[in-house]
Amino acid sequence: MSAAKLERLLNLTALLLETPRPLSAQEIRERLGAYPDELEAFRRSFERDKDDLRAMGVPLEVHEVPGSIPVVEGYRIPKDRYYLRDPGLTPEELAALRMAASVVQLEGLSARDGLLKLGGLVGEADGGLGLAVGALPAGNVGPLFGAIAAHTPVRFTYRGEARTVDPYRLDFQRGRWYLSGFDHKRQDERVFRLDRFESAIEAQAGPRFERRPARGAPGVQLEPWQIGEAAPVEARVLVDAPQAPWIVHHLGPASVVEERPDGSVVVTMTVTARDNFRSFVLTFLDHAEVLEPADLREEIIGWLKAQVVA
Amino acid sequence: MTAPAARTSAPDRVARLLAVIPWIAAQEGPTLDEVCARFGISRRKLEEDLAVLTLVGVPPYTPDTLIEVTIEGDRVWLRFAEVFAKALHLTPEQGLALVAAGTASQGLPGGDSHGPLATALAKLAEVLGVEPGEAVSVALGETRPDVLDALRRAVGEARRVRLDYYAYGRDERSTRDVDPVAVFAHEGSWYVRGWCHQAGGHRLFRVDRVVEVTPLDHTFDAAALARATDAGGVFAAGPEDPRITLDVAPSARWVVDTYPVEDVRTSEDGRLRVRLAVTATPWLERLLLRLGPDARVVEADDPSHREAGRRAAGRILDRYGGA
Repeated sequence: MSAAKLERLLNLTALLLETPRPLSAQEIRERLGAYPDELEAFRRSFERDKDDLRAMGVPLEVHEVPGSIPVVEGYRIPKDRYYLRDPGLTPEELAALRMAASVVQLEGLSARDGLLKLGGLVGEADGGLGLAVGALPAGNVGPLFGAIAAHTPVRFTYRGEARTVDPYRLDFQRGRWYLSGFDHKRQDERVFRLDRFESAIEAQAGPRFERRPARGAPGVQLEPWQIGEAAPVEARVLVDAPQAPWIVHHLGPASVVEERPDGSVVVTMTVTARDNFRSFVLTFLDHAEVLEPADLREEIIGWLKAQVVA
Repeated sequence: MTAPAARTSAPDRVARLLAVIPWIAAQEGPTLDEVCARFGISRRKLEEDLAVLTLVGVPPYTPDTLIEVTIEGDRVWLRFAEVFAKALHLTPEQGLALVAAGTASQGLPGGDSHGPLATALAKLAEVLGVEPGEAVSVALGETRPDVLDALRRAVGEARRVRLDYYAYGRDERSTRDVDPVAVFAHEGSWYVRGWCHQAGGHRLFRVDRVVEVTPLDHTFDAAALARATDAGGVFAAGPEDPRITLDVAPSARWVVDTYPVEDVRTSEDGRLRVRLAVTATPWLERLLLRLGPDARVVEADDPSHREAGRRAAGRILDRYGGA
């Protein structure tokens, strides 16, 4: 990039930050005196500059120039949206964030650019934890995080249905991202798998939503059998001794309702996705058995019978 | 001769400078070297950027409204840069990258739940307008922290460990002596890679299936072993593993995304022909049980695999009282 272009973009940003009212393209051209004389070349160059600023996340706003007849579009950058409120990170805090960002990365999202804005790269780049973490997938998480912070609803298609959701929280679990939020149509909190979104995410303008009390706590494991829309059922599952330590650790000790003398355990699980529950129980092969409720037990037996006769 | 510098795009260079300006302006004449180190920029680039800054300002572009750059010896000062007195706000992506990394790191062994990382995350949440610890959670993989920590230490010390291990694919519990080379998180699970003395080869173990780790008195040559284990992907089927071909209904297309399939063909009616390597029979049984009516075995190198789903279903039904 040429020094001239760098200079022009910086001066354009400064001009639009300082201006008390939106400036038309023509006014910008005259004040900066940095664009080509030829009209078509100016337009192209100005369009590219606007794209570059937006790509950086500069909040470039378009408004009518007051009093213009016919109406002319004008540009400005509101300071309150541009300026980062300095969180006042200490060097130790900056170093801790840098270390964390060196261990855990999101595909295609740069923690480095954020660190520069917060005061630069401080401390060591390599945590030396002796652990490596593969980059986490990113996909749609950026816009969703923006909507969570702004408290504005999002629209997307999920299971063939257009949804409007107040986004509450993003959870990364078992290698996937999940969104928890309030589904307007269902008037209830729901969990959505990001890799199952069937459309792009559309941010909805409008007033900030009031967050209703969240059902799950952050970071609490969302199990596959809990990510469904069926009425919740308490299931009891008997797991044999060799697999018992694993299931107890996986579900937490509070899930254990009975420890049998042979080392097997009975655990309880709240099921809202019956298919996922069946798949999970069957991963134990013949080392687990659904005890209750009867209809869930019958469903599994029916599924297995169909395979025996198939 | 030096390698050509990576080309910096216009927005990248502007964005970097918009972060550099407020920082220098707020300091008492930092050294140029300090600015370079903090912002990951070469001395030559920094000097070029500072030269441009002297031409930047706000109308009417008189000397007191243009940025004044003073370089004396090795130090630099900026004046009249009020318009850029604060950095550009964090984009949602930048905020998320930091919050996710910080949140995930807190969960690692030796993670920092009260120190500078925790206070940094709280300050960051406040600036981003989210509740600290509420907007994002990251679980890198289920594991007992003591197990993960013991394995991490063993890798660091190049120490042999004895693992009480539940091999999920084979559905059996065993004791293994392992020279661990690396511990890593991949797609939601933690793994330890190393030389297994029982198997006489390099093996990958899921950390959440490790019931217990016992450090042994033996250390090994980590460098030599690491070179030898620099093997490809996480799941590597051997060439000698038998293959199976399944006919899969369109509704079960997730198999392709979830399992290490070697070949996929889609027929006109949308059904799939999927070829997989079978590393262990219980693994195949689980897959077939899960797919149920959505899949049918079409070809199997090992004839016993044709009936794997039916046999497993029968065994489980026996447990349900032969219902």
